[in-house]
Amino acid sequence: MASTEIARYLSLENQHIALDPEGYLVDLSTWSPKVAEALAAEEGRTLGAEHWEIITVIRDFYTRYEASPAMRPLVKAVAQALGPEKGRSVYLLRLFPDSPAKVAARLAGLPKPANCL
Amino acid sequence: MSLPSSGSGDLLVILRHPPHGSSWLREGLDVALVAAAFGQAVSLLFQDEGVLALLKEQQAGPLGQKGTAATLDMLAMYDIESLYIDAEALNRFGLHADTLQLPATRVDAEAIKSLLNQHQQVLTF
Amino acid sequence: MILHILNRPPSHSRVYRQALDAMAEHDRLLLIEDAVTGALISQVEHFQSIAGRLYVLQEDLVSRGLDSHCAEAAHIVDMEGFVRLTEEAEKTVSWY
Repeated sequence: MASTEIARYLSLENQHIALDPEGYLVDLSTWSPKVAEALAAEEGRTLGAEHWEIITVIRDFYTRYEASPAMRPLVKAVAQALGPEKGRSVYLLRLFPDSPAKVAARLAGLPKPANCL
Repeated sequence: MSLPSSGSGDLLVILRHPPHGSSWLREGLDVALVAAAFGQAVSLLFQDEGVLALLKEQQAGPLGQKGTAATLDMLAMYDIESLYIDAEALNRFGLHADTLQLPATRVDAEAIKSLLNQHQQVLTF
Repeated sequence: MILHILNRPPSHSRVYRQALDAMAEHDRLLLIEDAVTGALISQVEHFQSIAGRLYVLQEDLVSRGLDSHCAEAAHIVDMEGFVRLTEEAEKTVSWY
């Protein structure tokens, strides 16, 4: 769920992007690709073309369904958009280790998935 | 009227409340989504005023409450595809299948009994 | 056998009809909380179709001063009886 509590700010050029206690954006409209890169850099991740494909899929999911996907629907959405090779949890785990649905939602500037493991 | 063809599963969620006005419908759908996210086979039964939740062209509420339409569309992404609708309630509200946003199997009292029997767990909202 | 549990009275809510429709031949219905008024002599006719399988929770009758108005057609059960009904059922379904 989107939180309104501001825990800290991500500094980016002239902007200060408010983050909630779990590192998700407080105001979803403050997202930009640069924000995603800065969030990823904080965690020591570098975003390549394969990551961006997934971030696009998850943002499309949110636009259409007004919710961040849990792991299973994320896998399904990726399979529909990018094909069965990429629509697999092992693939997503390799790109976004730990918890792909949560990590990808955070980097994509979306709320934390509500119904996630 | 035919019995539901599969009609079985881990969890049957009965939705009896209309959109807006209360959070019952949203809570019921959330429970269904959580269970499905954990890999359970989930079916939905729309009964009484809950049949209104399936109507096309629903919008967000005047106070910005989320609409149901996007969540209904999302059910398929969670593999929730066994949807049943109480034929009696549909008739009582004068609604037809072509006014529904998603296809749902019309069920009568006999079919509802077998739905309850064939699901491990039944939750009412 | 499914134990159906209802907490809204027939005078106020149509949910009892969905509960009745959903009840298979050997299913039982327990009236609790506000639904206990459904066991009154004047109301119990709503449950004719499940004669012999209608139960009502004693403590909710007593707290409303209704125990002496309860129809004979309803079996009165105390908390232990409620537990036993639950144990005898494969599952319970709540209607509210």
